[in-house]
Amino acid sequence: MQAMDTQQTRALIARGKLKDTLFAALGIICLGIGLLVIFALVADMVIKGSERLNLDFFMNFASRRAAQAGILSAWVGSLLVMLVTAAAAVPLGVAAGLYLEEYARRNLITEIIEINITNLAAVPSIVYGLLALGIFVYTFGFGQSILSAGLTLALLILPIVIVATREAIRAIPAMIREGSMAVGATRWQTCRYHIVPYAMPGILTGVIIGMARAIGETAPIITIGALTFIAFLPPAPLTTMNDGATAGLFDWVMSPFTVMPIQIFNWTSRPDPAFEVNAAAAGFVLMAMVLTMNGVAIWLRYRLRKNIKW
Amino acid sequence: MTESTHQSKQFDEELSGLRTHVLEMGGLVESQIRSAIDVYVTSETAIVKDIVENDHRVNAYEKIIDDETVHVVARRQPTASDLRLVMGITKIVTDLERIGDEAKKIAKGARRVYEHGQLTLPRVTEIRHVADEAVLMLRRGLDAFARLDVQLASEVIHADAKVDTEFKALVRQLITYMMEDPRTISTAIDIVWICRSIERIGDHAKNIAEHVIYIAEGRDVRHTKETSA
Amino acid sequence: MQKENTPQLKAQAREFNFFYGPVQALKNINMPIYDKKVTALIGPSGCGKSTYLRSFNRMHDLYPGNRYEGEIRFYPDNTNLLSPEVDPIEVRMRVGMVFQKPNPFPKTIYENVAYGLRVRGEKNRRVLDDKVEQALKGAAIWDEVKDRLQDLAPNLSGGQQQRLCIARALATDPELLLFDEPTSALDPIATGAIEELVHELKQRVTILIVTHNMQQAARVSDYTAYMYLGEMIEFGKTDDIFIKPQDKRTEDYITGRMG
Repeated sequence: MQAMDTQQTRALIARGKLKDTLFAALGIICLGIGLLVIFALVADMVIKGSERLNLDFFMNFASRRAAQAGILSAWVGSLLVMLVTAAAAVPLGVAAGLYLEEYARRNLITEIIEINITNLAAVPSIVYGLLALGIFVYTFGFGQSILSAGLTLALLILPIVIVATREAIRAIPAMIREGSMAVGATRWQTCRYHIVPYAMPGILTGVIIGMARAIGETAPIITIGALTFIAFLPPAPLTTMNDGATAGLFDWVMSPFTVMPIQIFNWTSRPDPAFEVNAAAAGFVLMAMVLTMNGVAIWLRYRLRKNIKW
Repeated sequence: MTESTHQSKQFDEELSGLRTHVLEMGGLVESQIRSAIDVYVTSETAIVKDIVENDHRVNAYEKIIDDETVHVVARRQPTASDLRLVMGITKIVTDLERIGDEAKKIAKGARRVYEHGQLTLPRVTEIRHVADEAVLMLRRGLDAFARLDVQLASEVIHADAKVDTEFKALVRQLITYMMEDPRTISTAIDIVWICRSIERIGDHAKNIAEHVIYIAEGRDVRHTKETSA
Repeated sequence: MQKENTPQLKAQAREFNFFYGPVQALKNINMPIYDKKVTALIGPSGCGKSTYLRSFNRMHDLYPGNRYEGEIRFYPDNTNLLSPEVDPIEVRMRVGMVFQKPNPFPKTIYENVAYGLRVRGEKNRRVLDDKVEQALKGAAIWDEVKDRLQDLAPNLSGGQQQRLCIARALATDPELLLFDEPTSALDPIATGAIEELVHELKQRVTILIVTHNMQQAARVSDYTAYMYLGEMIEFGKTDDIFIKPQDKRTEDYITGRMG
C-alpha cells in the first residue's frame, strides 16, 4: 500500500516535470526566434554597409554621389533634437508624475487624467506630427526647426516619462514617506529630499527608453517638415555665421535640420542602388545609438540603485 | 477564573494540576492533624511513627508544587489572575508545610505525655474541641481555595480569634493545675506545647484564607482589619 | 511604600472618535497620557491601538477620507492636536514617531539624524554636528556609529537601524514620542536594547508605545491601556493591569484566554 502510493506520487511528479521541460523548451525556441531576427537584421546591415562605415561617413554632409555622402548633418541633428526633447520632457513629465502621485487627491478628475495619459502613449506618432505642425510650426511660429521637432518628440515621450516617474515613485515604500512626514517635513520637502532622489533611477530609465523610441521616429518629423537634404550644421553658439553676425546661445534651436531616420528613408527611396549601402550603414549607426542609450540606461539604473535600499 | 479556558490547553492543564496538588497536600495535612490529635485523645502512641513517616510525603508535596510553580512562571509568564494564583499557591504551600510540622509536633508531644507514665492530671478534653475548630478552619480555607470563595475565606479569618481565645483559656487552666500540684508541671508543659501547635495551625489556616482573597481579588488583607470588600 | 503622586498630564484624549471613511475605527476614547511616563497600548490585532497612536501626530491626514471627532488635548499649552486649525506639521514637530519596521532613509547615518533639523531650516554646520551627536548618544548608538557617520544607514543591522530612527526622532527634541511596535522586526537582544533605551528616554520625553508583546508592555511601561474593537476597555497603572485588572475582557486578554 505504502509502496504503491510512493510510486503513484512519483509518476505524478514525473508527469508534472515533463510539462516543465516542454514549456522551457518552447520558451527557448520563442526567445531564439526573436534574437535570431535581431541578429539577422544587424548582420545584414553590417555586411551591406560595412564598406561605408568609416570616419568620412560621419564627417560628410549629404551628397548626390553615394560614395561621398555622409551623415554629419543627420547625427548632429538627431543629437540636438534629442537634447531639446529631453530638456522639455523630463521636467514636464517628472513634475506631472510627482503631482499625480504625491499631491493630487484621488477623485474623478485624476482618474480621467490618468486614463488619458495611458491613452496618449498609444496615440500614433503621426498624429503628434499633425498636432505639432499646427501648434509649434504655425501658431507659435517656431517654423521647421530643431525646436519644433524636439518639442514634438517631447510630447510623444511625455506619457512614457510620466508613467515611468509614477512607477518609480510608487516603488518607494510608504514608510519612507511617513518617516519623512513624521519629523515634520512638508510634502515638498519630502519630495525634494526623498521622493525625487529615490525615484531618479527609475525616472532616468524611463526617460532614456522614451528617447530611444523618439530617436527612431520618422513620421512626425517629416510631418513638421524636416529637410531631407541639408549641407550645413545648425549655428554653434557664439560662432560667426555666413552673414557675418555672431550666433546667439540658442540660435541653433531655430535652425532647419535633418535627423538619422529621415536620412535613411531618403537614401532608400533613391533609385541608385549605391545609396542602399549608405542606408544600411546609417541604419547600423542609428541602431548603435539606440543600443548605447539602452546601455546607458541600464548602467545608470545600476549605479544609482546601488545606494538606495530599504 | 475557571469559567473560561486559556488558548493554551497545556497551560490550563498545568494550572489545574497545580491546584489539584495543593488540595491533595491540604487533605494529607488535615488527616495528619486528625491523627495527631487522636494520639493525644486515645493514647494510641503507635501511630506516631506513621505520622512522622507521612510528614515526608507532606514535604515531598511541597517540593513538587514549588517545582511546578517555577515551571509555570518560567514557561508561561502568568499574568493577572494566573499570576496571583501561582504566587498565592507558593505561599499556601508554605503554610501547609508548617501545619504538617505542627501536626508532627502534636503527635510527638502527645507521645511524651503518655511516656511520662500515667497522666497525673485530668485529661484536658477541651483540646479536642479547639483542635476540631482549627481543623475546620483549615478545611474551609482549602474549600475557599478550591472555589475561590472570598466569603468563606473571610469567615475563616474571623474564626481564628475564637481559636486564640480558647487557646488562652486552656493555658490558664493548665497554669492553675501546675500551681495546685507542681508534679504536673512537666506534663502540663507538654500539653501547653500541643495547644500552642493547634493555635499555630489556626494562624496558618488564617494565612491560607488571606492568600485565597489575594488570589481571587488581588486584595492584600494581611495585617489589616479589612477582610471583605 | 510611599504614596506616589499623580504625575502631570502631557496629553488627554477626550471623547475621541476616528473614522476611516464610513467605518468608525475608534469609539469614544478617554485617556490621559502622563508626562515623562511610558504608556503602553495593548490589545489584539485590529483593536485600533495603532490607529489611535497615529492620531497623536496626525499621520492619518496623509491619506484621504479619514476623520477625527473629539479632541486630544496637549499640555501645558492646552492645544487640541486634532483641531483643523492646528497644522499637522506643527503637531509632527512636537510629536516624534518610531515605526514598526526600521525605516532609515537611504542616506548617510548623519543625514538621517540631521534631517529633522534641516527640515526646520537649520544650516549651521556646528549646530547640526552637535545635535546629531546628542541625538545619537540619546539613542545609545553613538559609540557604534561615531566613526562612520558617512556610511549609508541601511547598511546597519536591524536593531541599529531602529535606534537610528529613534535618534532621528530625538534630534528635534519632541515632547511626546510615539512607538508603533518598535521591536516586532527585531531579535530578542536588539529588542532588549530598545526596551532599555525606552526606559532611559522617559527621563526627558513622554512615551506612548503600541506593542503586541504583553510582556514588553509589562516590562517597559508605567501605565497600560487595553483596547478592544476600537474601544478603550481599561486604563491603569501597569502593575494593576497585570496583577489585578478590573475588567473581565482585560483579564481574558492578558492571561491568554482569548482565541
